[in-house]
Amino acid sequence: MQSKNKRFHETLRTAGLFLVLVLVYLILAVPFRVMTVIPGFTEIRPVQLLKPVYGVFFGIPGCLAFAVGNLIGDLLGDSLKWSSIAGFAANFAGPFVFWLFWSRLSKTTFSLRRGKDLLKQLAVTAASAASESLLITPVVMLVYADVNAALFAATVFLNGTVFPLLLGIPLMILMQEEFGFRPCAARRVPL
Amino acid sequence: MNKLQANLCLICVTLCWSTEVIIFSCIPDGILPFATTVITSGIASVILSVCFFRRIKQEMARSGKKLLLRCLLLGVVKTAYDILFLYGLNYFDVSTGAFTFCITVVVLPVILLTMKRDVSKKTWASVILVLAGIACALGGTLVHAQFLGLLIMFIGCTVRAFFIVKLNEYAKEHDPMTLSTWISIISTVLAFVIWVFVQPSTFAAIPWSGTVVASFFIYAYFIVAFAQTLNIFAQKRATATGATIIYSLEIVFSLIWSYILPASLIDRMTPSPYHVIGALFIVAGSLIEIIEFKSRRVRNAIKE
Repeated sequence: MQSKNKRFHETLRTAGLFLVLVLVYLILAVPFRVMTVIPGFTEIRPVQLLKPVYGVFFGIPGCLAFAVGNLIGDLLGDSLKWSSIAGFAANFAGPFVFWLFWSRLSKTTFSLRRGKDLLKQLAVTAASAASESLLITPVVMLVYADVNAALFAATVFLNGTVFPLLLGIPLMILMQEEFGFRPCAARRVPL
Repeated sequence: MNKLQANLCLICVTLCWSTEVIIFSCIPDGILPFATTVITSGIASVILSVCFFRRIKQEMARSGKKLLLRCLLLGVVKTAYDILFLYGLNYFDVSTGAFTFCITVVVLPVILLTMKRDVSKKTWASVILVLAGIACALGGTLVHAQFLGLLIMFIGCTVRAFFIVKLNEYAKEHDPMTLSTWISIISTVLAFVIWVFVQPSTFAAIPWSGTVVASFFIYAYFIVAFAQTLNIFAQKRATATGATIIYSLEIVFSLIWSYILPASLIDRMTPSPYHVIGALFIVAGSLIEIIEFKSRRVRNAIKE
């Protein structure tokens, strides 16, 4: 009975965390809808800075919150299209790559204290952005032939690398070093 | 946070500040800078106060009146240099004016010396390189610039240097989150007083639209709440001079934005060769400050 209660509280806490993460995503994402690159498809997206943060510090609930946040953002911004399904998958995959690397593949716990750690983060960011670009671009090309695929892919890749590196890294340093956030990797949750 | 991380954070702060021009391009020219400060600092104050209420309350219980007085001083000094820059920049074109901000790098070590504080040789080397960069970029235009404009910018930079020294000092003593919140609140109040004087209709005078509201929020999130707070946290570990040298990179980022971003987001311009060479000097000066030069003997000692 006690363990059932504990599990219920844990589920409730995860659901609460998920909702807060989606809300934070939307608060950050919605104003940037004015900075469009390809109308209806891509804009300048500093919200991507949350991608490594959600993946590393909040694990799977974070990845899901990132994808759901993007979907709700599409809905609110009147840009919900068939490609939003691929967008959902890509926005889940983006933070998932960070989670996968730092909690499963890396032999060391997540840290950004040394140049070597920063280089690792740079490589993971590039892999994450590439995975996003590879997941969305073919679908957009298939469904919307008039969209400039090269510009679209480049925008997705640049959004996925520039903001997580330039803004995400300092935010993660702040969260880990000053606010005491623990990376998911440190908990070693079984898959 | 170690020194490398503090420097990275300062670079990020500078990057955020450099995007100000992009956000400003979405705000109509008719909106006064004081109005922008009131609204954006106001939004940031609310966000920071709500998110870190408990932390701020604890720090207030610890430092109380002393902290408030220090924040008031910082708020007044910040408003003063903002106003000086606002009027001083009228005498220059956009690209040249931006280089005059870097005068702070040269003034700050002098202020530190007058306060009988040590400035390392490495820092002086950086300062000389940044100064060479400013001289190169301003070069020919400096001859045509009005003396009054330069004087106002020089005073503004001196006041800003004083602000940085004091901020650096207080960041090491107080909670950066609380400092950032109070500086935002005080900036909001001071800018509102000036705004009422200059434009009594205040909020009613703003041509509200979705884009304007979005731009205010973007500015509040990144330039005020995020960059300002990150800056104070980084100042805890950095020296005032080191921080100022990194701040001088702002002009380099601005030049890059104006060259690579689409015309729909920014007024595009092609930098002159003097600007490029000046920017390179500034980058070199910043690199000298950021990179830790250790002798072989020290490296071996660390390894052992």
